[in-house]
Amino acid sequence: MSKKETKNTFEHSLNRLEKIVTSLEEGEVSLEESLKMYEEGIQLSKECIETLNKAELKIKQLTKDLNGKLQLTDFEE
Amino acid sequence: MSDEKILSVTELTKQIKGVLELGFTNIWIQGEISNFKLHSSGHIYFTLKDASSQISAVMWRSRAAQLIFRPNDGMKVMVRGNITVYEPRGNYQIDCFQLQPLGKGELQQAFEQLKQKLFEEGLFEEENKKSLPVFPQKIGIVTSPTGAAIRDILSVLSRRFPSIEVILVPVKVQGIGAAEEIAEAIADLNRQKLVDVMIIGRGGGSLEDLWAFNEEIVARAVFASTIPIISAVGHEIDFSISDFVADLRAPTPSAAAELVVKDKNEVVELIRNFCYTMNNSMINSFEAYKNTVSNLTQSYSFNKPHDMLRQRSQQIDELQNRLTRNMLHSFSMTKQRTQFLSSRIKTTNPKSILKRGFAIVRQDESIISSVKKSISAKPATIEFHDGIIDAEILRKRK
Repeated sequence: MSKKETKNTFEHSLNRLEKIVTSLEEGEVSLEESLKMYEEGIQLSKECIETLNKAELKIKQLTKDLNGKLQLTDFEE
Repeated sequence: MSDEKILSVTELTKQIKGVLELGFTNIWIQGEISNFKLHSSGHIYFTLKDASSQISAVMWRSRAAQLIFRPNDGMKVMVRGNITVYEPRGNYQIDCFQLQPLGKGELQQAFEQLKQKLFEEGLFEEENKKSLPVFPQKIGIVTSPTGAAIRDILSVLSRRFPSIEVILVPVKVQGIGAAEEIAEAIADLNRQKLVDVMIIGRGGGSLEDLWAFNEEIVARAVFASTIPIISAVGHEIDFSISDFVADLRAPTPSAAAELVVKDKNEVVELIRNFCYTMNNSMINSFEAYKNTVSNLTQSYSFNKPHDMLRQRSQQIDELQNRLTRNMLHSFSMTKQRTQFLSSRIKTTNPKSILKRGFAIVRQDESIISSVKKSISAKPATIEFHDGIIDAEILRKRK
């Protein structure tokens, strides 16, 4: 459930941002609407850049235990 | 006969064993594989034969695991090993510790055959290829946990786009059983639905080293995957079957890592551009709105009420003017008429008639306008323009 939510947050945000930019560029939204969109767009761009800047690579490994059950563990290089 | 030593089966077998096992050590033989079996224990059993003879062969698990390719029935191979005797059955066999295809041609041929077969089945068709996610969050990597490939991939990923999660499925990438492990890892990742995209591959090596990625079982697993797969096997010049089936071929594992994620700085730049465009659009749209407003306030329609007011007041002014003019006119008309009337009145003044010789007869102050009205023997007055005569009526005539 939360997997799906977090799964494409970044891509989703970036897509939404792109959509907003296109709409604003085409100028076919009302002034009120465009102000809202602009605010949302700025917020999204902040979030996206934040995500990009604070992240570090997480590495896990998928292995089978003795019973053949799959388990995720941290990977030590 | 009694002098002759009678051997038990065991004694004989032991003697044969001694002769054979000492006489045939570390020998090379060549032949064709048949009845190939990979036992669940990991040992492999097969028969080596040529046109007229055959010999059983075994390769124990520890050696089999080192195999660089998967032997198949019909494959011509060279084996090196020792002859051993299996006493319980009185069989002899060759215990192989080395097994290799009889010349490179064999592997190449197997490669071409499988490639042709899978091509005909449509496993390489462009229309079956899935597109890669633009921003994958989780990337599966099927490779050796100790190889060069995983190091290269991780280093590129952390440099380019570290905001992702990597799930490594450690597998053997060469030797017997490697292909099965790779195929199973692909299937596991699909079952668990843990990743958005996966890289399968390994670093460079000989054709034999890379052989697992030319196995049919791997090709089928790649084809069956619902998760997009990038195949990155060996170096630029190495092509494997998995490269053809995969959704994307990368020349090396590092290249696969570069293909799977965008560069973080490029994305940041993209977002900056988005912000710039947004700002410009907002400024432009504000300008446009401002223009619209100012155009509107200057427009005829917007100014119509004022205009109407002005028109009305002008109308009123005009009406007032007309009213004044009319009044003046009618006043002067009245004046004229009055003058005219007064002059006419003057002409009708009886006094002026009297001047012309007429006279007014009165009796008791009443004007006598007819003979009938006159009363005889009663004093009357006759008024002339210059005075009055007292008179008396003598006689009435008609």
